[in-house]
Amino acid sequence: MTRYILSRLLSAIPVLFGVLLFGFLLLKLTPGDPATVVGGPMATPEVIEAIRREMGLDKPVVWQFLVYVGRVLQGDLGYSLISNTRVLDELSEAFGPTVELMLACLVWSIPLGIGLGTLAAAYRGTLVDRLVIAISVVGVSMPIFFVGLLLVQYVGYYWNLLPFLGRGGPVWTGQGLAHIVLPAVALGVFFIGPVARMTRAACLETFGQDHVRTARAKGVRETRVVLRHVLANAMIPIVTLVGLQIGFLLGGAIVTETIFSWPGVGRLAVGAILSSDLPLAQGAILMLAIGFILTNLAVDLLYAVLDPRLAR
Amino acid sequence: MPRLRSLCRGLALGAGAVLALAGPALAQKSVTIVREVDSNNYDPHKSTARAASEALFMLADTLVSLDYDMATIRPGLATSWAVSDDKKTYTFKLRDDVTFCDGKKMTADDVVYSFKRWLDPATRSPVRWRAGPVDDIVAVDPTTVEYRLKAPFSEMLYQLTQSFAVVVDKSDVEKLGPDFGVKGLNGTGPFCWVDWKPRNEMRMKKNAAYRWGPPIYDNKGPAQVDEIVWKIAPEDNTRLAAIMTGQSQITQYVPYSGMAPIRANRTVKLVESKEAFWTYFIGFKIDKEGVNDPEVRKAMVMAVDQAAIAKNLFFGEVNPAYSYISQDALDWNRKVDAELIRTNVAEANRILDAAGWARGADGFRTKDGRKLSPLLYSFTGSTWQKLSEAVQGDLRKIGVDMRVQLFDATAAWGKMATQEFDAFGMSYPYISAGDALNLYFRSANIPTPNRMNFKEAKVDRLLDAGMTATTDADRAAAYGEVLEDVHRQALWIPLYHEPMKIAVSAKLAPIKAHNNYGCGLYKGLDIRYVQ
Repeated sequence: MTRYILSRLLSAIPVLFGVLLFGFLLLKLTPGDPATVVGGPMATPEVIEAIRREMGLDKPVVWQFLVYVGRVLQGDLGYSLISNTRVLDELSEAFGPTVELMLACLVWSIPLGIGLGTLAAAYRGTLVDRLVIAISVVGVSMPIFFVGLLLVQYVGYYWNLLPFLGRGGPVWTGQGLAHIVLPAVALGVFFIGPVARMTRAACLETFGQDHVRTARAKGVRETRVVLRHVLANAMIPIVTLVGLQIGFLLGGAIVTETIFSWPGVGRLAVGAILSSDLPLAQGAILMLAIGFILTNLAVDLLYAVLDPRLAR
Repeated sequence: MPRLRSLCRGLALGAGAVLALAGPALAQKSVTIVREVDSNNYDPHKSTARAASEALFMLADTLVSLDYDMATIRPGLATSWAVSDDKKTYTFKLRDDVTFCDGKKMTADDVVYSFKRWLDPATRSPVRWRAGPVDDIVAVDPTTVEYRLKAPFSEMLYQLTQSFAVVVDKSDVEKLGPDFGVKGLNGTGPFCWVDWKPRNEMRMKKNAAYRWGPPIYDNKGPAQVDEIVWKIAPEDNTRLAAIMTGQSQITQYVPYSGMAPIRANRTVKLVESKEAFWTYFIGFKIDKEGVNDPEVRKAMVMAVDQAAIAKNLFFGEVNPAYSYISQDALDWNRKVDAELIRTNVAEANRILDAAGWARGADGFRTKDGRKLSPLLYSFTGSTWQKLSEAVQGDLRKIGVDMRVQLFDATAAWGKMATQEFDAFGMSYPYISAGDALNLYFRSANIPTPNRMNFKEAKVDRLLDAGMTATTDADRAAAYGEVLEDVHRQALWIPLYHEPMKIAVSAKLAPIKAHNNYGCGLYKGLDIRYVQ
């Protein structure tokens, strides 16, 4: 098992390097100019040029990248051009709200998706099955920004039920809980469809297997058959999908955080890119990529738990 | 079934609990103001962003203040001022009861330090010129400051009403170093800095000791709310919904599509000022082929239908502009009113025909084998996208094929400092004719902010005359002549003047909108709850 974990961790290193390179080059190609950010809109070309030299932006791109990698390896992501604070500090402050939002999304959408998928499989071909498929299609088809705007418009504005502007504090406080509901719902709607469909397909496949038939022949109650013998054995593809979807969820969080003014990493990344705050944008992209890699790693490890044969 | 029933009951209770916990979104004495974008920093000498000025006017004070009419200078930290006969020395008498947020007394030394920091080349202030041709600034005694100029500067007092001229605390600046205006700012304003989370929110609390508000306010201080939270909500709909549901109490960044619902909503009031000191325009780089011909420029100005733009793109909420500055601005020349170029497509076509620009088979005009196809640089975002498309469409009616390239604000300023384009679209705030003209039409300001490459000795002389005028009449005469000259040459296509419109919760007492640098709330001393 240890060897398995180590091999997975080692394979993440080239991916991380690729992310560093890709993030660096991508931001180099965007039209924003960090020297203009520092100099301000009225700065003369001479001033901008002086700032560019000061920041090392006049040096070859390869040199700039090597300096950047060297600093990252020492845990130094630089300072934000806007707030002059350490990028690491800004990211760690934004990391909590993003994790909080993702957990709040997963905590309701995964059980609901699995529940709906199992229900559809158990009642295959009935109205319930068709209804679940319809819900899945609608969930997958609606872009997050659209769901977010609908929630703001109806739940927030017309019905005035829940707040939608920013974070109200830690989620265990009343304000915090109230503020997280709408963004978590907006993000989660996108999650239910794929999970429900995958659960349905995996369960249907398992339903036909011998051990399920045996359990039924032994007179085990149908609920126990579904939960203990079908769902438990259908979990690997579901976990794979959930792992992959969490990656997309990080992308979705960027949109959700923008609509709901949620102070997370996604919004930080968008703001940093739009304001040409290069060090912060690079740091945010790196953090989102690490989040993606760690999620995949966790999924791989979970496989080994669910099916110990994979770790051998 | 009983299980299902208990599940439903549980869900209902849970939802009820969440709603109950949500409770009132804000403490009664806290006001949340939403806006679209944040500033890059809050150092008064380094940021030119409106978002910075909005907060700085509340966090700090200027020696003199500006009345709602945008023309009358009123006392501020200075109770009075005297100007020498040669108009080169301004002597300000300061209040002796002013303290910074940390309780330290403000003296003339702080004023001198603030101005000298503004002027210091090491500060690299992009608005250094606004301080005028300073010879020296000295503290005569703890309550007297002498501001000595090398030459008269008629804009002087107006410039000192701007957020760039606020008084800062020397020890605070030195203590915070590069974090000044980022991690804190110890000002003398009606509100004190609490914290700033870039791109998210800024918090400020009431300065309980504040008693020195400008005379334009009935309440001279302290502020009537305990806390102000400036929240960033980039989404138009989110801002609109936030103000209509009471999650925010004030915003001056209402999407134009939201004005009608706000007017129809009893929980929100729309505060409007008739003055509009923020102008959107397209400027020509007048030494570029095609637009170097004044007749071509005139025809292009004439082709644009500003009234339709104001009505169709902005729901009639903005004022169509035919002048480069508001006709209500200080020193506007009434003689120019009759000469302003109005929409007339037929006449525009006639002018281009006469100038030898013939229509080709594709409908666009050419002359000597060159197509009339100017390149416009402007900003990304819905406003300039809409505007450039509308202008592009209008110009097609006269056979001009305007090409458009839009850039993010951070890249656009750099691109607009180049010579790559033929026209540029932007907007700007101003206090007076002199403020606008000296910035954009002075040859010394080529290539930026004089992006037109406009160079005329006569105009430079007149701008000097206006700047160094010793009487209001002389200043108005000089700037008036410049206004005539630049309008006649059709250097810009004026598009619209943006009036100040602020959505305010009905729970707050009525406020009056200001226009200083586009900051509608100015000092915020009239913000108070009535419900």
